[in-house]
Amino acid sequence: MAPISIRNLTKRYGSVRAVNNLNLEVAPGEILGFLGLNGAGKTTTIRILLDLLRPNSGSAFLLGHDCQADGLQARSNIGYLPGEMGIYSDLTGHEVLDLLAKLSNKGVDKVRRGELQERLEFPESDLRRRLREYSTGMKRKLGLIQAFQSDPLLLILDEPTEGLDPLMQESFYKLLVDVKQRGRTVFMSSHVLSEVDRVCDRIALIRKGELVLLSTIEETRKLAARPVRVLFAEDVPGAPGLPAGTEVIETFPRSWNLTVEGPLGPLLRAIATLPVRDIEIAEAKLEDVILKYYRDGAPERKP
Amino acid sequence: MRRAALLFAYSLKRVRTLVITTGLLLAALQLVLIFVGGAIQTSGGFDQLSAIIPPFARELLGPSVTVVMSFGGIVCMGYFEVAVMGALIALAVTLGTVPASEVETGFMDLILARPLARHWIITRTVALTTLVTTAMVALMVAGTWTGLRLFAPAGIAWPEARLINSLAVNLGMLTLCWGGVAMAIGAGSRRRSVAGGTAGLLALTTFLLDYVARLWQPAEKIAWLSPFRYYNPFDLITGTALPYKNLVVLGGIAAAGFAAAYVLFARRDISH
Repeated sequence: MAPISIRNLTKRYGSVRAVNNLNLEVAPGEILGFLGLNGAGKTTTIRILLDLLRPNSGSAFLLGHDCQADGLQARSNIGYLPGEMGIYSDLTGHEVLDLLAKLSNKGVDKVRRGELQERLEFPESDLRRRLREYSTGMKRKLGLIQAFQSDPLLLILDEPTEGLDPLMQESFYKLLVDVKQRGRTVFMSSHVLSEVDRVCDRIALIRKGELVLLSTIEETRKLAARPVRVLFAEDVPGAPGLPAGTEVIETFPRSWNLTVEGPLGPLLRAIATLPVRDIEIAEAKLEDVILKYYRDGAPERKP
Repeated sequence: MRRAALLFAYSLKRVRTLVITTGLLLAALQLVLIFVGGAIQTSGGFDQLSAIIPPFARELLGPSVTVVMSFGGIVCMGYFEVAVMGALIALAVTLGTVPASEVETGFMDLILARPLARHWIITRTVALTTLVTTAMVALMVAGTWTGLRLFAPAGIAWPEARLINSLAVNLGMLTLCWGGVAMAIGAGSRRRSVAGGTAGLLALTTFLLDYVARLWQPAEKIAWLSPFRYYNPFDLITGTALPYKNLVVLGGIAAAGFAAAYVLFARRDISH
């Protein structure tokens, strides 16, 4: 059973399609990064999963339960971190965590909460303070604790590291690894591509409400053009007749700077007769692919 | 149900300062009115006040003016004083628009991301508004009887308990009616200020409509649209029994508001 299953989901606001015929499955135990520019439909999708928004057509399932028809069951074992923590500032951190824990099915687990506090460096003294005294980062940490404290099977996190300092981001990544090892599933939206590269197993990229890329991190990285520098032992004129997928960035008498999409074999065959002294191949960057999808409208690529 | 009760307790805790302060002020106002009424009565001031009212005003205001210009009338004034009615209605609007506030702040996202059905949000708000309205009116009544015991001049007749209770019940229903209207508006709103402002403006408009209709005959044709038409404290003071039709109409508006709130909130998109 897929922890998240989205089928032909469409949500319109007037004539604008915020989400258009979206199909997506999140596998058990995986961390899926949900990417897209602002307004692409990420938050709308998340809000439909939580039954905060009602779709025009299609359906979505959480842990096998229909988000609309069987919403209470669907939401019975999830942790949710919204993009913005809407909490009344007159409450203390303790009051917020207690209330939200009691509203979930599992009640307050002081031991689990203590672990999270320790990992996110959030002492009891801070929890006793009212939220009006909290910084942005503290509110974010409180949000993470409330999402993780009931140890849910599925975590839905909307831009989780927004407002966290680098040390806390590191702690959060370790926390993700920990929950993944215990078989939990994480569905997180993010704009931080290095974070996605580091923690996610797969990415789903949404553009103008449509899913345009769904792939593992490794496969996605292969879509990037790798920078290749060919160094020659003697002067070589120009760079004629290079195979498809190879783009010449600049040429010098004794070196070429190229980018290569796909396998390197054809390029190596093409330069086999030249006096090659060395070849430098840089690792493809995930963000190059993602940014290309963001900027250029690269073609859809789904399994 | 347990989660809804928890949410109710939490909401009550959040508004406790506002509610307690308002309730104590309203109760204190009853004490002050009775103290002042007692002082005027003792000095014979009511006769002097009645004498200075010109005949045309006496004719316009009817027999109620002589009733109000008495110790009993002053005691009852706390139940139809514009500031008191305004405070109660403002409180009901504030409570009725709690869901809109929770949507606006994003707190609703966190609540509804839990296994809590949407109808509990409205049920909580209905319970909160009803409980607080009842408590406010009860505090006013308690203030009245406490004031009478403390400050009523010896030998003066106290207003009947039936009259005080009728005024309190009718005022309570009027308050609840506006709570229902505010809840219906708030259940479909993203912004509490918009919901509260709309409900407040509606209350002011209908108050003026009722007021104008009492002085200007043509407006009488549509005055039935105003909830304030179903609260006639002067009639009660002059001895008319509490018309149950008034309670039914006000209760009906409140119930319709609550029902609309359930439907609107169940169907709406929660976005802020």
